Amino acid sequence: MLDRIVKAYNEAVFETDKEAAFEVVDGALADGLSAEDVVFKVVIPAVEEMMSNITKDPDANLAQHFMTAQIAAEVTEKMLLKFERPPEIIGRVVMGTAHGDLHSLGKRIVMGCLKALMVDVIDLGVNVPAERFIDAAVAENAQVIAISAMMVHTATGDNGASKVRRLLHERGLEDRIKLVVGGAPYRFDNGLYQAVGADAWAADGVNAGRVIVDLIRALKKS
Amino acid sequence: MTPLQILAAAIDGTPAPRIPVFSSLLDQGPRELGLSPRDYYADGAKVAEGQLKLRARYGYDNVWSLFYVGKEAELLGCDDILFADDGPPNVAGFVIQSYDDIAKLEVPEDLTAHPAWQETAKCLNILRDEVGQTHPICAYLTASTTLPAMLMGMEKWLELLLTGPADLRDELLRKCSDFYRKEVAAYRAAGANVLVYSSPFGSTSFLGMKRFQSLAMPWMKRDLAPGGVANIVYYCGMAAFNNVIAQVMDELKINAHYISPLADLAEAKAIIGERGLTCGVIDDIKMIRWTPEQTRAEVRRLCEIGKVSGHFLFGTGVVPLSVPEENIRAMLDAAFEFGAYP
Repeated sequence: MLDRIVKAYNEAVFETDKEAAFEVVDGALADGLSAEDVVFKVVIPAVEEMMSNITKDPDANLAQHFMTAQIAAEVTEKMLLKFERPPEIIGRVVMGTAHGDLHSLGKRIVMGCLKALMVDVIDLGVNVPAERFIDAAVAENAQVIAISAMMVHTATGDNGASKVRRLLHERGLEDRIKLVVGGAPYRFDNGLYQAVGADAWAADGVNAGRVIVDLIRALKKS
Repeated sequence: MTPLQILAAAIDGTPAPRIPVFSSLLDQGPRELGLSPRDYYADGAKVAEGQLKLRARYGYDNVWSLFYVGKEAELLGCDDILFADDGPPNVAGFVIQSYDDIAKLEVPEDLTAHPAWQETAKCLNILRDEVGQTHPICAYLTASTTLPAMLMGMEKWLELLLTGPADLRDELLRKCSDFYRKEVAAYRAAGANVLVYSSPFGSTSFLGMKRFQSLAMPWMKRDLAPGGVANIVYYCGMAAFNNVIAQVMDELKINAHYISPLADLAEAKAIIGERGLTCGVIDDIKMIRWTPEQTRAEVRRLCEIGKVSGHFLFGTGVVPLSVPEENIRAMLDAAFEFGAYP
């Protein structure tokens, strides 16, 4: 039964059909699957499947990224209300777009995936000054600062990720807080993330979820 | 031959001394004139002067009538632009805040009478007078399926496109398509002769193939129907689109394609062949950190792929302000050297 549900859910997500995805979830609950099983055995594997597809499939597209994240976040939110006990949260991220950048789509995709992957996200919004990233990460005890930048000057400029790195260094926070970046400019130059002092980057919003989870786990291990 | 004649030769496949060499130095304009971006973009005469000075300084073939991408949103009511000293201006206030605003969105009856068009018209008049007989004048026009992203933000547009009410989506697309039709007529009348049709949603990087065919293609046909495709260049905002080139050529009859640096140029050239113009585009984001030698090597690679059997143009994306001048010079020197025909 589970295989059938997973297959139907994956197909709905792949086709960016939100209504069909919710029908599968409702059917699964009616068939006796628990809310926990829906999240951990259907939704999270589907997000992981999409991460893998995006890397392999040349026809993977922004619409799929967006809907994968939207569906995963909405199903997870709905299921969390039905959980017998609150799930274990992997870690916490503060996220926003770089100073001067008003493009919020990438951030929303990442946030949707992270919600499904049981990562707590503090959304700082758009056009976020470097100091605010640091202050929020410290106040919220976050392991990761994630910065989205869709324009070259906001990705590489003095007030974006490179300033966050400088502040992390000056305040002695580099062992406690990791810095992740994403957005179009980093796709055109895969080495750009290092040039701005980030610890990691992701080529798309869905895979950013995996990158952030990996960083949190590595940080917790150390 | 003039640059305009060289471009015509590349399109027609007739003999020319070299390939056309295009460059998009937009953000460099304010610095060239020593002005703040806000002051520079407020005056079409300054934008024209910036374009002419940059072209004279570097020697490439074209000039641009584009101020910044958000300019189109201003023609549809946007009055909130975020200026930056180190990059392009950005739409800060969206005209469509809620679905109710779609009904209120008005496409100006006469675009050329709109106050936001006046500086563009001033810029085009100067460019046409100064170089219109000899050099290509580029204009940037956003396709109906992409323009809503500038009016309501990418996030809300994707929401409406993928999960919203179809009647509202289509009402917005119809208005954006009507706007495009008026805009392309205005640019043509004002003397622009290279019309870059920016259609990121016309690639499968944004929508899958099914939606490309069922949604993007019909709306692009509607955009282009009355004005035709003369001087239109298909461009997907630096997204790769090799897998739809054949359909775009067959169904839209657009034969000039601005290939993404993320795509395989040899593949694109093989698809387009001698039926149209292949524009090989350098990854100018990499140019921020490349050496002049690396820049030169990449230009050489692109020219060697593209120049075979002609029908090839060398171009850039919107060159970031942080690309060192020595790399711009290295790029253009190499384009003229490796783009020369024996």
